[in-house]
Amino acid sequence: MKESLLEILCCPLDKHDLELEDAQYDGDEVVSGDLVCSECGETYPIEDGIPNLLPPDMREQTPA
Amino acid sequence: MDLADRRDLETDVYQPAEDSELLADAACDRLEEEDLVLEVGTGSGYVANRLAEETGARVIASDVNPHALAQARSEGVEPVRADLVEPFADGRFDAVAFNPPYLPTESDTEWDDWMERALSGGEDGREVVDPFLDTVARVLAPDGVVFLLVSSLTGVDEVVERAGENGFSAVAVADESFPFETLTVLELL
Repeated sequence: MKESLLEILCCPLDKHDLELEDAQYDGDEVVSGDLVCSECGETYPIEDGIPNLLPPDMREQTPA
Repeated sequence: MDLADRRDLETDVYQPAEDSELLADAACDRLEEEDLVLEVGTGSGYVANRLAEETGARVIASDVNPHALAQARSEGVEPVRADLVEPFADGRFDAVAFNPPYLPTESDTEWDDWMERALSGGEDGREVVDPFLDTVARVLAPDGVVFLLVSSLTGVDEVVERAGENGFSAVAVADESFPFETLTVLELL
């Protein structure tokens, strides 16, 4: 993901801002890291450049 | 073609069909280069890509399906794994496009795989459309619009009524008839 995407995203639970932590870059793209809610502290992973912003209860209940 | 036929063609990611094309055509005609656009439920990324390439707009593509997002990313759009518009900040988007899962499905004939998630709108066909209509206004910029694909199988009147309950007025901006359904693109303002 592009770092500028941060301004467009929010925590899916409480809609507060997200902060980027432990970012690994490939050029100007963030390929891995965590997005952490500045309010509730919930952590959302970035894997293969794709941020996973499903709420925690939906991460587990999806088909393989 | 019914749900059983459609799902046999592909098992992981919904591929572009007549509905994708109709939605892309209608939205491309109405977007500006400086717009920020969200496509919900992007599937293969076909619609998001056409919007980005033909209008120059920045397009964010969301889906719940990780296989879809991997395919969409390889096509060059900006993917986000998301439940509808939940992880998007207030008031940002000039336009939101959505070709939802809309086929009415008996509860005992659902398959619990990604293709079923891409096609099935539950018993009345509106199980995903309704919560979308109830939440999308939050992420729209003041003059933002929604382009929503609806099938006659899903009930266009019911969708327009639900949109109205959420403060939208709906205009049909494109439609196309097929033997088994009529597809309509609604512009919600």
